[in-house]
Amino acid sequence: MNFKGTLPTLILEALVHEPTHGYRIAQSIKERSQGVLDFKEGTLYPALHKLESEGMVESYESVEKGRPRRYYRITRPGRGMLTKDRAEWRALSRAVTTILGEA
Amino acid sequence: MTLLDGWLRRATRCLARDSAAQVRTEIQEHYELTRDAAIANGVSLVEADRLAVNALGDAKTANRQYRRVLLTSAEARMLREGNWEATAVCSRPWLRWLILAVPVVAGIAAAAFFATGHLAIARDLLISGIGMSPLAAAPLLPINTPLRGRLYRCVKWVAMTGTLLLVFGPETFKLSWLLLSCLWPLAWTDWTRAAIRRKLPITAWPRHLYL
Repeated sequence: MNFKGTLPTLILEALVHEPTHGYRIAQSIKERSQGVLDFKEGTLYPALHKLESEGMVESYESVEKGRPRRYYRITRPGRGMLTKDRAEWRALSRAVTTILGEA
Repeated sequence: MTLLDGWLRRATRCLARDSAAQVRTEIQEHYELTRDAAIANGVSLVEADRLAVNALGDAKTANRQYRRVLLTSAEARMLREGNWEATAVCSRPWLRWLILAVPVVAGIAAAAFFATGHLAIARDLLISGIGMSPLAAAPLLPINTPLRGRLYRCVKWVAMTGTLLLVFGPETFKLSWLLLSCLWPLAWTDWTRAAIRRKLPITAWPRHLYL
């Protein structure tokens, strides 16, 4: 399913509980959407870099199973953005459901 | 060349060396985790390799998106050359003052021509001096915040455009092809600097990126 433009929000949502690395973010989005949101994983990192340059997430190196991994965690402005995006999405979703429901 | 190598070569096209290295590291990590998960599910090594690369998607699309957020080789070169130019000018106080002297000399020459009755030359020299002054004064101005940078860039372009309009008058539009080709390098530099500003955090901006 095409979910262009919502990937940054989904990434922030995946990071809201704990810091994690890119692979787990991708798996989390796919699992939580029950496979509906199946996106190409090569586009995940550019979105992460953009969020990082905007100060919404920050990254750090950590070792997992003896391998260095780049972990990402959500920042305070990132949480603020996520709250705003959730509210906007609910309003949009309600509006589209109302229109489609009428058809 | 493995499937992943081919994918990485296309995805890192035109990226700066550091950016490309970063992409290679993160994609390699991601690829290994995907491949290991596929192998753990009983898939053969060759099939796991193919699945892991397929999961990355189209390398061209990834490259387009990476180029929007990471420095390209052209931007990295401009950053290096700009740093060199800024160091060359800012480390020599006499050079800064010499550059500033250019519009001042133009102003003095304008006054001299005005005094001798050469009004047209005096006018053009005065306008050119005023037009050049934002560029010449840049090394001496405290432009070290994004807001000041934006203001400076506005003043610079207004001054340059105004100078051309005043010097060439009605001829400006006839000579537009010539003027545009002269201004093109400046516009390209500003455009590239804007792209670099979007990609680098403000704390990492060198001085010339504000201008």
